[in-house]
Amino acid sequence: MIYQILREAWISISAYKLRTFLTMLGIVIGVASVVLMVAAGQTVSNEITKTFDSMGTNLIILAPAETVSGGVRGGRGRPSITFKDVEALKSLKDVETTSYVVNAAVQAVYGSNNYGVSVYGTNPDYLAVGNWEIESGMAFTEKDVKAGKPYIIIGQTIVDELFGLQNPIGKVLRLKGQPFTVIGTLKAKGDNLMGQDQDNIIMMPVTTLRQRLRGSNRPQYTDIAFVKVTQEDKMESVSKRIEYLLRARHYLKEGAPNDFSIHLMTEMVEKVQNVGFILSLLLSSIASISLVVGSIGIMNMMLVSVSERTREIGTRKALGAPNRWIMFQFLMESIIISFMGSFIGMILGVILSQIAGKMLDKQVPISLWSVVISASVAIFVGVVSGIMPARKAMKLDPIEALRYQ
Amino acid sequence: MSEKPIVIEVKDLCKTYYMEGGASQVVLKHINFKIYEGEFVAIMGHSGSGKSTLMNTLGCLDRPTSGEYFLAGESVAKRTDKELAIIRGQKIGFVFQNFNLMMKRSIVDNVSMPLIYQGVSENERRERALEMLKIVGLEGYGDRPPSQISGGMQQRVAIARALINHPKIIFADEPTGNLDSITSDEIMNLFTELNKKGITIVLVTHEDDVADYAKRMIKISDGRVEYDGLRKEYHA
Repeated sequence: MIYQILREAWISISAYKLRTFLTMLGIVIGVASVVLMVAAGQTVSNEITKTFDSMGTNLIILAPAETVSGGVRGGRGRPSITFKDVEALKSLKDVETTSYVVNAAVQAVYGSNNYGVSVYGTNPDYLAVGNWEIESGMAFTEKDVKAGKPYIIIGQTIVDELFGLQNPIGKVLRLKGQPFTVIGTLKAKGDNLMGQDQDNIIMMPVTTLRQRLRGSNRPQYTDIAFVKVTQEDKMESVSKRIEYLLRARHYLKEGAPNDFSIHLMTEMVEKVQNVGFILSLLLSSIASISLVVGSIGIMNMMLVSVSERTREIGTRKALGAPNRWIMFQFLMESIIISFMGSFIGMILGVILSQIAGKMLDKQVPISLWSVVISASVAIFVGVVSGIMPARKAMKLDPIEALRYQ
Repeated sequence: MSEKPIVIEVKDLCKTYYMEGGASQVVLKHINFKIYEGEFVAIMGHSGSGKSTLMNTLGCLDRPTSGEYFLAGESVAKRTDKELAIIRGQKIGFVFQNFNLMMKRSIVDNVSMPLIYQGVSENERRERALEMLKIVGLEGYGDRPPSQISGGMQQRVAIARALINHPKIIFADEPTGNLDSITSDEIMNLFTELNKKGITIVLVTHEDDVADYAKRMIKISDGRVEYDGLRKEYHA
């Protein structure tokens, strides 16, 4: 019987091809845009994860405490973590290595080229902490740090901007008029999430930076420190130990607030991914408005169809069609339309998302979600928009319906 | 005639329509008659006489307000919609004034439509439809849509459709109302022929020359049976 209903429904809707097609288009567009938006959200979320992975997720970042005055949060407070603190943290259990960064923004000059660059004064361990790799040449050593040697490692952007096709190794460039020798280059990382160029970077021993680029009356303090933890599940325990150790080293009394802040990369990843999830939810709920419109379109068409076919319904009833049969036939018509629309929409959405991915040079996942969404839309929209017209058809009095002109 | 089985028996049949606001209108008043197998009956009456209501009730499209109605020995006066649909599908054939064919479907699909609701397989439906088309003289037209044939032929399709479930009785409601006189004669001759083969036919009409094809006539006037007897003995 289901086959017969399906067949009658199919023949009926295929009798009105243009109308059926236009109605279906609403669902096609709706499902395609939801699938697209889900794909967009997932792509963003994947990109976020990738970026964090490139920074290393087993990272704890230490910064000065935020200043709080009268309950109002200010910016970062005075530097409070010394290089000795950072060194001491290395001995903690489950800590792989530690590092620190003191920043300076200067103009790099080589020959007639110059370029604005972000300079990191750090120790050799920063390479491991920040997941950086040496492409050519070598890194500076702990000894170089102690001696304050003017050695620098440069990112790919600096290589391209200042040296072009020349080999930069051994060349001398100037920062604030002072000469620095390039001893190594870094492998490219690309842009980060905020679209900042991560390769626009120069690393040098922190001592060198302090002496030549950014003097300070408190030269023993670092802006920011990094602790790389051996395993991700050790993050929490290590952060507790850091807090304990730093409080002891800073002679903080019981009850006194920390003069530093601890940020776990895993937490930040979670936060950003939450944002990504909410973004994708938001996008797809906006897209699903078009699905609602499409579903109204089906309902509208089915209502027109029922009143146009009143005589047919009357005839069918007179010839022995039970009310339920009539209802299921009309319901089936709307389900077929929404099913086909969802299927085409899903395929279209996947194809479009792949094309967009190719054009933007991003890996767009084909997710199971698009299938789940379109399948549930097919049934849900079909039933929801079909039930009212179908019941209307069912309730028609055959005598009235036969008399209908 | 009385030795034949009874197809239709109505006893004290009444129909009252209740309108919104509490007003009511009595349309059928204590109707009694029997129709035997193989009869050809014309139900006549002016518009508003109640003949359409009677026809709808006899055709199981409507239920009487009171009274009894036996169709082929079965009481059908107080059945549910679902049961009435089954009875219509199995025991009754309808022929309508405006044919009521589905113009976008083939003639075979139209003729075999009642069988869908009986759960008959597609192959058997087609076979039986072609057979019925032969009976009404439309052999070879099966795969065309009804829009390609004349009105008279369309009514033949409708008659074939009415015959396909081997009904106990055929109700024809003004079957020639939309046809010219020559085609009308053809259709009425077809009914006469079918009646000779033993098919019971109830014809509703207000045209005298159409009613002349029937042997018996029941005239309804103001909701009552005014005349019930041989057509040729009726003199208005």
